[in-house]
Amino acid sequence: MSALLAVRADGFVAPDVSNFWQPIFGDGPWAITRACILFTLSGVVIAWWLLAVTRKLTVVPGRLQYFTESVYGLVRNSLARDLIGSRDFLRFVPLLFTLFVLILLNNFFGVVPPFLFPTMSRIGFPVALMLVVFVTYHYLGIRKHGVGGYFKGMLPSGVTGPLVLFIYPLELLTYFFTRPVTLALRLFGNMFAGHLLLLLFITGGEFLVVESQGFLMKIAGAFSYLMAFVMTMFEILVQFLQAYIFTLLSALYIAGALADEH
Amino acid sequence: MVEEAPRPAAPDEPASEIAAWTVLSYLITGPLLYGGLGYLLDRWLGTQFLVGVGLVGGMALSVYLVSVRYRTR
Repeated sequence: MSALLAVRADGFVAPDVSNFWQPIFGDGPWAITRACILFTLSGVVIAWWLLAVTRKLTVVPGRLQYFTESVYGLVRNSLARDLIGSRDFLRFVPLLFTLFVLILLNNFFGVVPPFLFPTMSRIGFPVALMLVVFVTYHYLGIRKHGVGGYFKGMLPSGVTGPLVLFIYPLELLTYFFTRPVTLALRLFGNMFAGHLLLLLFITGGEFLVVESQGFLMKIAGAFSYLMAFVMTMFEILVQFLQAYIFTLLSALYIAGALADEH
Repeated sequence: MVEEAPRPAAPDEPASEIAAWTVLSYLITGPLLYGGLGYLLDRWLGTQFLVGVGLVGGMALSVYLVSVRYRTR
C-alpha cells in the first residue's frame, strides 16, 4: 500500500531565474548568451524571409506572399493607419512592422523545438525595444509642440486651482516612467512567466514519471505532461497577443504624440 | 456642408482606445507616485502611516484626473 502512495520529492530542482542565464561563449556581462544568438538568428530569418518574398511579387499572390501580405496588412492597416491616421501613418509602418515581426518571431522561439527559449524573457531585449519607442514618441511630441509646448500640454485642462500642483507630476510620471516601464515589463513578464511555467510542468513531469516511486506519482507525471501541452497552446496565444499589444501601444503613443488636442 | 454633431467615440475608433490605455497608466501612476512619496516621507519622519495615505490619496487623484480628462457632457 505504501508503495502506491510513497512520495519522494527530494532531488527535484524547481526551475527558477538561473535557468534563464545561458551563456554560450564567455561569461559575465559580455558573454554571448543563447538569447543573443537567437535574437541575431531571428534578424537573419526575417531578412531572408522578406527578401525571398519580395523578390518575385505577383499580382495573384502565392501562399508565402499572401501570408506576408496579411501580416504586413495587419500592421499597416489596423495598427498604423487606423490609430495614427491616414495622413502620417506611412512613416511609422517600418518601425511598427519591425517591432511586431521581431517580437512575434522571438516569442515563438519559446515553443519551437530547436530553440525553445523566448529571447524576450531576458529583460534587456524588451527594454531595448521600449527605448526605441520611448525616444520616438518624445521626439515626435517635442518636434510638434516645441519643448515648452510639449511640457505645457501635459497640464490637464479642466483641473482647477491647487490640485494642478498634484496632478501635473502624475501626468509627467505617466509619460516618462509608467508608459515605458509597463511597455517593457508587460512583454518581459509574460514571456518570463510563461517559459517558467512550461519548464515547471515539463521538468516536473519528467521527474514524476521517471525518478519518483509510486504508481500515483506516474499518473501525476502524465497529468503534468498534459498540462505542459495545454499551457504550450495557451503560451502561443499569449505570445501573439503580447507582440500585438506591444505594437498597438507603440502606435498609440506615437499617435498621441502627433495629436493636436493637447 | 452640414456639420455633424460630435458623437462619443465608438470602441473601434482610436480615441477611445488611446483613452483606455491612458486611464490604465493614470491608475498605476497615481498610487505609485504618491505611495512612493509617502514611503520616503515615512522613512524621513519615522512614521508608519504616510505610505497608506499616499497610496489612497494617489488613487483618489488618479480617479479625479481620469474623470476630469474623459468627461462626457
